[in-house]
Amino acid sequence: MSDAKAVADRLVKAKRLNALLTPPKELRKSLNTQIAAARPTGVLYGMPVAVKDNICTLEFTTTCGSRILEGYRSPYEATAVAKLKAAGALIAGKTNCDEFAMGSSTEHSAYGRVLHPLDKTRVPGGSSGGSAALVGAGAVPAALGSETGGSVRQPAAFCGIVGIKPTYGRVSRYGLVAFGSSLDQIGVFGRSVHDAARVLSVISGRDPRDSTCEDRDPLRLPTVPESMQGFVVGLPKEYFPPELDPAVRRACERAIRLMRELGAAVREVSLPHTPYAVPTYYVIAPAEASSNLARYDGVRYGPRFKGAADLRSLYRATRGQGFGPEVRRRILVGTYVLSSGYYDAYYRRAQQMRALIAQDFRNAFDRGVDLLFTPTVPTPAFKAGEKLADPIAMYMSDIFTVTANLAGLPAMSLPIGRVKGLPIGGQLIGQAFLEDEMIEAAYALERVVPATDEA
Amino acid sequence: MSVSREEVLRIAQLAELDVEEEALPTLAEQMSRILDYAAQLSAVPANGTVKVFVPGPDAIRFRTDEVTPSGLAFGPEEFAPDFKEGFFVVPKLGQFE
Amino acid sequence: MSPAWETIIGLETHVQLRTRSKMFCGCSTAFGAPPNTQVCPVCLGLPGALPAANGAAIGLAVRGALALGCTVHPKSVFARKNYFYPDLPKGYQISQFDQPLATNGTLSFLSSERGIVNAGVVRLHIEEDAGKSIHDRFPKATAVDLNRSGVPLIEIVGGPDLRSPAEARAYLQTLKQLLEYIGISDCDMEKGSLRVDANVSVRRTGETALNTRTEVKNINSFAFVEKALTVERDRQIALIESGGTVTQQTMLYDSKENSVRPQRSKEESHDYRYFPDPDLPPLVLTPEFVAEQQSELPELPAAKRDRFVASYGLSREHAMVVTATRAVADYFETVAKTSAEHQAAANWVMTETLADAKDHNDELRVSPAALSQIIGLVKGGTLSHQAAKRVFAEVAAKGGDPRSVAESLGVIQVADTNVVSGWVTDVLGAHAPEVGRYKNGETKLMAFFVGQVMRASKGKADPKLAQRVLEEKLAS
Repeated sequence: MSDAKAVADRLVKAKRLNALLTPPKELRKSLNTQIAAARPTGVLYGMPVAVKDNICTLEFTTTCGSRILEGYRSPYEATAVAKLKAAGALIAGKTNCDEFAMGSSTEHSAYGRVLHPLDKTRVPGGSSGGSAALVGAGAVPAALGSETGGSVRQPAAFCGIVGIKPTYGRVSRYGLVAFGSSLDQIGVFGRSVHDAARVLSVISGRDPRDSTCEDRDPLRLPTVPESMQGFVVGLPKEYFPPELDPAVRRACERAIRLMRELGAAVREVSLPHTPYAVPTYYVIAPAEASSNLARYDGVRYGPRFKGAADLRSLYRATRGQGFGPEVRRRILVGTYVLSSGYYDAYYRRAQQMRALIAQDFRNAFDRGVDLLFTPTVPTPAFKAGEKLADPIAMYMSDIFTVTANLAGLPAMSLPIGRVKGLPIGGQLIGQAFLEDEMIEAAYALERVVPATDEA
Repeated sequence: MSVSREEVLRIAQLAELDVEEEALPTLAEQMSRILDYAAQLSAVPANGTVKVFVPGPDAIRFRTDEVTPSGLAFGPEEFAPDFKEGFFVVPKLGQFE
Repeated sequence: MSPAWETIIGLETHVQLRTRSKMFCGCSTAFGAPPNTQVCPVCLGLPGALPAANGAAIGLAVRGALALGCTVHPKSVFARKNYFYPDLPKGYQISQFDQPLATNGTLSFLSSERGIVNAGVVRLHIEEDAGKSIHDRFPKATAVDLNRSGVPLIEIVGGPDLRSPAEARAYLQTLKQLLEYIGISDCDMEKGSLRVDANVSVRRTGETALNTRTEVKNINSFAFVEKALTVERDRQIALIESGGTVTQQTMLYDSKENSVRPQRSKEESHDYRYFPDPDLPPLVLTPEFVAEQQSELPELPAAKRDRFVASYGLSREHAMVVTATRAVADYFETVAKTSAEHQAAANWVMTETLADAKDHNDELRVSPAALSQIIGLVKGGTLSHQAAKRVFAEVAAKGGDPRSVAESLGVIQVADTNVVSGWVTDVLGAHAPEVGRYKNGETKLMAFFVGQVMRASKGKADPKLAQRVLEEKLAS
């Protein structure tokens, strides 16, 4: 249990990262109010949890890193946030992110880029880069992010922390501003597996307001195991291509060796449709986004931009000036693939490919594999600006993470070593709604892996 | 290049996005690259029998038909950019009429 | 219309389902609330809000589909229809597209030209309503009210099976009657709970291919259906006859001018970019659920008409009138059963009951038991038909037991021969010239004498008894 001042001080100290969008004064004031109101019996009593700015909160504005929602105060809060508060947690401000969660570097925010906590010339990953950077910098023990294609696991890997994306339908999306609705899940960052897992356990569970949220009890936390005896870990060969960064490969091999030593059986598997995951993702996610972002029309909320003499110019001015270039690009691509004449060639095709990708995973699990281990990202954190001019190079950063979103499976990243001081993440992908098994394995690996050692 | 300038304009119109003339060539080029990249999906033998996959529950839940409180901590007058006499106010429809 | 032309019409009808709350959120559907007071994050389209489907609305939609004889699909899919409009908060409407709730039904209606017509119902699907844009509230601005946003609707798409504006009207009336019968909607066009758009084309008689059609919108009252379609039909015929061609477009009907004008076309063609709504899993209907909806259906109007003809010996026309609404049909049936006077019951319902209801908000103010009693009193000779009508009106206005009402009105018929004889003597005494003419063979004057006796008795004399006494006295 921490006092409001100490919580705020730690966050304000990390100001240089540009990770927090909430002004210090407002943050201090709100934390004081929250701590007075928090339920002392809650399982997260007094735990500060920073929240990505695309998750609706009553305490602070919700801008999604976009100009189009500048100053927007949501009149309701996300179910996940309400559950955190009911458990006694403190909402420790809103974190910077790629605009509407579209990006892999948190360079696409209308409020400036977020710096990597260990190297300010590099990106913290994205799109939940603000949340990851704050946890990585030790400013908060845990934070909420959101995932559509890896936006929690990828920045967790870059920032050397734990990031969990639960099974699709495990956590209510009510109040998470939609990007790609069939892919989106709220995820959790923690300094440790336990911090992340206990926050996840609190926010998980049924919610009648989200029709895609499964009618299930909250996740039960496993105990920390002595070994990995009985676990069968699959290594999908498509995730270890020849061009994989050698340091990332070394770190993964070390982690695999450690899992073996813990008693896990390790075997190679194949997920043959993996090469098509990124193109599939970059059809489905923009298609859904083009529709999800249609509501930002300047009529009911958000600022009104100049030059709105008639309705059409209101739309065009709002959306033209309100959305940044990456969002506009994706809206255009998404509109294109849904438009008459292209639907079958792109959208339907991608939906079919998605089914094949999901089937790959089922086949692997059906053959007795409990979970999969892969690198989270092919490289450590890249330099700011490095991939801005080339959208596809940026998209390739998601190559190992998008599959779990497409298949709706739980997956997490945990630190497994460093290269030249930069963290490397290892990914565990579990079976649907078996987060407990995945977390159990992560507990075991976390205890033995030299997370801050050079690989 | 698979996407022409005209197509970008048509799509931008559907999406109600202003596209500046000078941004058109770059946008057309980037969209083309992305769509050409996505076009590799058609190289794969996924025939018509492949069922689409949607994660989440298999069937919709039925909500009880009850009037429930709005859940709004404050009303539209607090967040709307232009709100008068209980209405959201927008400029006249112009060519939409 | 020249017989050289044939009109082809298909109606698309939007019907508001009778629910307490909206399709995808718990906001009230009550009509007439102050603007933007029945709204929440979901129907305002706020960032992060998600839909949750109203099970009752789905049940009502299934009932509608079953009543129209549709195939109800065990699995259907909600889809997004994307377009921009200020009263469409999310920038898309949740509807159904390539996998609708139900397909392939029929609606039978009586055409004055072709007799019974079985018109096809191509599909029936569930969707949410948009809000309301009000253009005359503020100068140079449009006012948006989202109270209607998210109200549950079904869209019933009829086939191109109607051959005249009159048939379109008859179809719509039959559809309205059916939906009201099964209780799934108020079908009140004035409140917007029933709306209709029409696809219209014409062709020369004998042609079989369908020509280019137009869509007629803005038909906002029942009375205008026939007028609007007639105007559009005539416009198309005149156009073709003068060498022009019909272009596919939307025509707006103006009821004040009784004219149609093309809707100013948007720059882009409609491209709604339908795709399955990722916020809503498939709509799966178990056989049990569908069976439950089936069991909730009352006897449908057509079946009821047939039964009334068979059981109560009514003519088809009379059966049609007394089954106009479910309430009237139930009313008639109770009266018919309790009075055991089937035709009299039908006559009373078709005249007094319906006339009174028409003036009093469709309320059936005289109870079936009271009407049965009135019919009994007429049959037993206690009330004249005229007196019975007065009693009916009195009971309707003030209530009460018909016999007591009749007594206090003093309209019970006098069947006492001595009393009636007195009135007859008075009347004959006062009309000596007519008595003379009668005796000279002008027997048709009997009606005159009966009338005079009724007048003298202030309507109380039993007319049959009066005639008998008159005949006796005039014969002597």
